[in-house]
Amino acid sequence: MTVQINFDTSWQDELLNRISNDGPWGSWDLYKLALEVESHTIIPEFEGLQAPKHLSDLTPLPHQLEVAKQVVENMNGKAILADEVGLGKTIEAGLVLKEYMIRGLVKKALILVPASLVSQWEMELNSKFFIPAVAQKKSYVWERFDVVVSSIDTAKRNPHRDIIYEQNYDMVIIDEAHKLKNSKTKNYEFVQSLKKKFCLLLTATPIQNKVSEIFNLVSLLKPGHLGSESAFFEKYKKDARSLNDNEHLRELVNKVMIRNRREDTGIEWTKRHVETIPITFTKEEQELYNSIHILRDQSSGGPSSPFSLMTLQREACSSREAVYYTLKNMLQRQQTPSAEFEQKIASIIKKVEAVTTNSKAVKALELIKKIDDKVIIFTEYRASQLYLQWYLQQNGITSVPFRGGFKRGKKDWMKELFEKKAQVLIATEAGGEGINLQFCNHIINFDLPWNPMRLEQRIGRIHRLGQKKDVMIYNFAIKDTVEDHVLKLLYEKINLFEKVIGDLDDILTKLDFGKVEDHLMDILNQSSSEGEMKIKMENFTSMIQFAEEMTEGDSHAATGNT
Amino acid sequence: MQQQEIHNFLLKYFEANKCELVQSQSGYMTVQLTEEMDKELMNRPFYWHYLEKTGGVPNPMQLTLITNQQQINGDIKGENIHFGSPRLHQIFASTKKLAGYIRLYEDYQGAPGKQTPLLPWLCINAKISYQCDRKRDIYQSIGLQLINGRMVTDFHDRMLKLPLTPKIPDYAFTLSPLIMPKSGVTRIENMLRTKISEEDHTWATEARERWKKDLDLLNHFYKDVENELESYENEKQALKEQFEPKIDISIINGGLFYLTDNAM
Repeated sequence: MTVQINFDTSWQDELLNRISNDGPWGSWDLYKLALEVESHTIIPEFEGLQAPKHLSDLTPLPHQLEVAKQVVENMNGKAILADEVGLGKTIEAGLVLKEYMIRGLVKKALILVPASLVSQWEMELNSKFFIPAVAQKKSYVWERFDVVVSSIDTAKRNPHRDIIYEQNYDMVIIDEAHKLKNSKTKNYEFVQSLKKKFCLLLTATPIQNKVSEIFNLVSLLKPGHLGSESAFFEKYKKDARSLNDNEHLRELVNKVMIRNRREDTGIEWTKRHVETIPITFTKEEQELYNSIHILRDQSSGGPSSPFSLMTLQREACSSREAVYYTLKNMLQRQQTPSAEFEQKIASIIKKVEAVTTNSKAVKALELIKKIDDKVIIFTEYRASQLYLQWYLQQNGITSVPFRGGFKRGKKDWMKELFEKKAQVLIATEAGGEGINLQFCNHIINFDLPWNPMRLEQRIGRIHRLGQKKDVMIYNFAIKDTVEDHVLKLLYEKINLFEKVIGDLDDILTKLDFGKVEDHLMDILNQSSSEGEMKIKMENFTSMIQFAEEMTEGDSHAATGNT
Repeated sequence: MQQQEIHNFLLKYFEANKCELVQSQSGYMTVQLTEEMDKELMNRPFYWHYLEKTGGVPNPMQLTLITNQQQINGDIKGENIHFGSPRLHQIFASTKKLAGYIRLYEDYQGAPGKQTPLLPWLCINAKISYQCDRKRDIYQSIGLQLINGRMVTDFHDRMLKLPLTPKIPDYAFTLSPLIMPKSGVTRIENMLRTKISEEDHTWATEARERWKKDLDLLNHFYKDVENELESYENEKQALKEQFEPKIDISIINGGLFYLTDNAM
């Protein structure tokens, strides 16, 4: 078999030029040095990693080196890196990129990450990997620099989009790639149309709900690896939730995906301590919470979908401000609200006004004073965030806010303020992703998300490599409310907090019977009595536990085989 | 490359480029750059442009390079140099750039008054890269005698053993080549091509197999999808660029060597 051989002809043109001009000729010492350099930089083997030799300031962990080696040697440089949160996927991606750059296989690379992570990637690539990465700030950056870090939202928009398509990228890296699970989105379409020679997709949660998500991810990376769309869904029903159900599918996916669990890494992790802090409403707060029930009556014509009802209840567990904000919006959304509806809203607003203290905030303040160290407070609601900021300030505690919607520069600035100046960072859900705050080891969950993945993302901000201390997690729950029920179910019975995501997504994908959130909605809203609710809840818990046992059974079986 | 090797390499580099050593101890060195080396390494074209326009006195910088942090005083400020550092790779690149072409004569001390003929040799030091989705390189040093067409390998190693000088020695004269340098390069190129094509290319066969496998998957994926021709072509092209085996011969440096008949 013949292989195309290219011979560099530019050298000889210059040689002839110098012969006819009688020089200039290089010095013999430098000439010898140049060859000496070459003997050091030449890489005589296809196999093996060169990158570690080039990285004096970085000691990659064994599992990270193994991932890089696998990707380069066995996966042809196309892989989904799906380690659990906090195991250093960035390091793994950096190693792979560096390896290809050293070997001259990659010159131009495009790195697409959430906006909040752009400067962090830029900094890590430069300082740890000596890769001259540049954060995209102006549209000329694409053409002028070889390694560009950008947010996908910027990149997909023109004029950037067209310029990017004209660049010949050798490698594309996409962080938080689970956001591309839906093939109908603009982001997906944008990434699909990118030419991907070498490609890494990074995600801690490759499947959140359905097998179709993994099909979409894999098809971005390696179209056809899981078959064509129609064939795939004929074989595996679209809504299937478990990879494990199908040995064949799992094997296929594992050819393009590497996933390390914490326990696989052999690293001693600091512990997680979880403390649930039950809180009792004041009389006024309780009345506000109870009053929301009046919206349940469908005949009043209000938008009493179970969803908004549940939202209001959850908000009432967070702050009166959150309730008020939502009520206002509900009224505004209706063009001609019925008198009855208006009156109901007004009566709830009255209850809102009657509330004078926020029991959770009081508790939080007490706890923060006791901890006397950096604390992160997570809340789902922006109104609660604003209130907390004001409340802490009134009590002499310095705090900074953090939201997903912040511009990149502001996020960096807030993180720095928190590290250097403020005691508390108050983050909303959207702000939970994409910042690393391992210098802090206390989290207060002011209210709880119902999607356990989001909870893991929260904890993952601080419980990651580099965390030196045990991580303390305080969960606030108001007694005898929806919050309390959810906490008991999700977070205590199935031990969600101590578990890490690896076990969890196994368990969740085992749940072949609907979204967790839908079930909760059904249990908490459609039950006509407390008794019914309890029974439904018990059933649900045992199903989860059953799935959990099956997972354990699987891993025992697997151990038995080896 | 060990830190000590890097240290020695840097010393040789600056010496070869006539930069004075202000300080040199184990672990670090401070170098006074010449004007040329400042322009070569410090990346400040505006400064030099400004000087040229205003006719000011050039003030080339000093550069402190630390090769072993443990061996030095804490108060020494400088750049840490290690195998992956951008500065070292800049100096590597500079070395190659400054020494791409050479012409040397064997420093032969014959009997006084007796004229010694020196035969012309063309040398090419080449890096041969075997590339698919992976890559490896080998190094070849070839010499071609430009009168009788004799070719030798490991030419550079042989040169290291000879006394060489950039000026033609007294009592020596050069013979004119019968083979012109241009066709000399072609001869070396052809020799390398023949040699390479006789090698075992299992790596390329395997790369083509990997390529075909992914291409089959791709074809299958797009079989029942309409209106996606552009994506398909795009992906197809990406696979070609990723897997297609090829061999690149690039030239590190080389030039003309005039040697006595006995030297080789």
